[in-house]
Amino acid sequence: MRVEASLRGARTHSPRSMQHAASSARSPFAANLFRYRWLVYELISRDLKLRYRGSALGFAWTLLNPLLFMGVYTLVFGVYLKIGIPSYAVFLLSGLLPWAWFSNALMQGTTAILDGRMYVGKTIFPAEVLVLVPVCSNFVNFLFSLPVLVGVIVLFHGSLGLPLFALPAVVLVQMILTTGLLFFVATFNVFYRDLQQLMTYVVMLFFYLTPIFYQLTAVPVALRPFVEASPIAVLIQCYHQIFYANEWPDLASFAYLLLGSLVLFFLGYAFFKRHKESFGEYL
Amino acid sequence: MTPAISVTGISKRFYYPAIPKQATLKEMIVKGWFREARKTNVVDALRDVSFAVEHGQTLGVIGRNGSGKTTLLRVLAGVFQPDSGSVYIDGSLAPLLSLAAGFHPDLTGRENARTELLVLGFTPRQVERHIDDIIDFADIGDFFDAPMRTYSTGMVMRVAFAAATSVDPDVLFLDEVLFVGDESFSTKCLDRITAFKRRGKAIVMVSHSNAAIVEHCDVALWLDRGRVAGFGDPSDITSAYHNAAMEASAQLLA
Repeated sequence: MRVEASLRGARTHSPRSMQHAASSARSPFAANLFRYRWLVYELISRDLKLRYRGSALGFAWTLLNPLLFMGVYTLVFGVYLKIGIPSYAVFLLSGLLPWAWFSNALMQGTTAILDGRMYVGKTIFPAEVLVLVPVCSNFVNFLFSLPVLVGVIVLFHGSLGLPLFALPAVVLVQMILTTGLLFFVATFNVFYRDLQQLMTYVVMLFFYLTPIFYQLTAVPVALRPFVEASPIAVLIQCYHQIFYANEWPDLASFAYLLLGSLVLFFLGYAFFKRHKESFGEYL
Repeated sequence: MTPAISVTGISKRFYYPAIPKQATLKEMIVKGWFREARKTNVVDALRDVSFAVEHGQTLGVIGRNGSGKTTLLRVLAGVFQPDSGSVYIDGSLAPLLSLAAGFHPDLTGRENARTELLVLGFTPRQVERHIDDIIDFADIGDFFDAPMRTYSTGMVMRVAFAAATSVDPDVLFLDEVLFVGDESFSTKCLDRITAFKRRGKAIVMVSHSNAAIVEHCDVALWLDRGRVAGFGDPSDITSAYHNAAMEASAQLLA
């Protein structure tokens, strides 16, 4: 019958120190997450439930979406434009699935804090949970769509092997990278909502600038360093290597990706933390 | 004994742009918006507000629209940080009741209630225990497992009130919404509130109904443009507030 221990007990809030027993201002990200793990779980499952509630095919959409995407792109780039990549459907889908996870999380996450205003503005609430939910729910979608990828690989006589063991590490890095980016974007969007309009174009831009439906070799040599410096391009490259080329991701670029993602994550979290106290006033 | 709530000299100032946001591009350029936009107006929503509420007491907050009632409630709930002064709450808080606004129409009453309790930091096992109490108190039958968009307003309020009070907080915040239910539910709510008070819990209530304040509150706080205009016996404070309001409208007519 009691409110959980940390919500209980005497507490003060004074302006300078801004300490609230339940406020996560002082507790690290992981501790806060652990305390609210059930809420994270609930919000992820409700996000997934709501996505297809009211549609006749329901969960099947998770499998249909990537297939439809693949169909359109294969037709345009594989058949019309003859991009000349063998087993193009496999190549495409192995980059498209992680991209869908990344871009959907980013689009949905931009407004995550804003959309959670009924909680953030009404009670003491760890807003980092809101940022994490779109990353996780789209990850679950990604996981469920993997069988489609495997099916397509089998269909086109592709091969899967030991490099699959690198997948968890790649997935983890993508999680860190996406969450880190979202800390920036979602926080910024609370104060300047112009960003959510802009994000559609930013995401589209990066879709075309990242070698997802074409190979890096298609990029002019002079411009390649720019593409290779983009963490998202390196990330997609890792997926291409695992699922399409059946080779281990390049260790040096993976290390670069990991380091970049971690830096981004900690900077993003610091940015978020600096501003979270004032969310209530802007929502 | 320490008071349930003690508030010492809190002030809260809001800043907003001096120029309305929906300025068109032309206006921006013509009026030098980019320079102007940096100027801000200030509103002092709370100015040096101090008071204390004992355990078992109900505080009624009154005042005109825009006098700082909601800001005060939000500062008490820890949603806003005051610019100066301090708030001390002896025990746990309930969320603001308007949390009902967070209910998702496509989710059932059960799903919404569960999310709300998880937001408050409960574990699933604790939530399950509370859910039974919520079902019992809300008393809306099979609707509890139907999407909330099929509910009547009264039914939504039933679930909201049941969920917010089931957590048994030491300090409870109440909005006017409490009194929208039908006769029997209002009585039920009042019974629960009376039980709260008996167990030494403090309640903060915001209302525009002087009658409700006099009937339910032990102390009243009158806010006027962010300042404490009066604090004390509910009938004294409400009549002073009433007279001031009358005077203001008389002046307006004269």
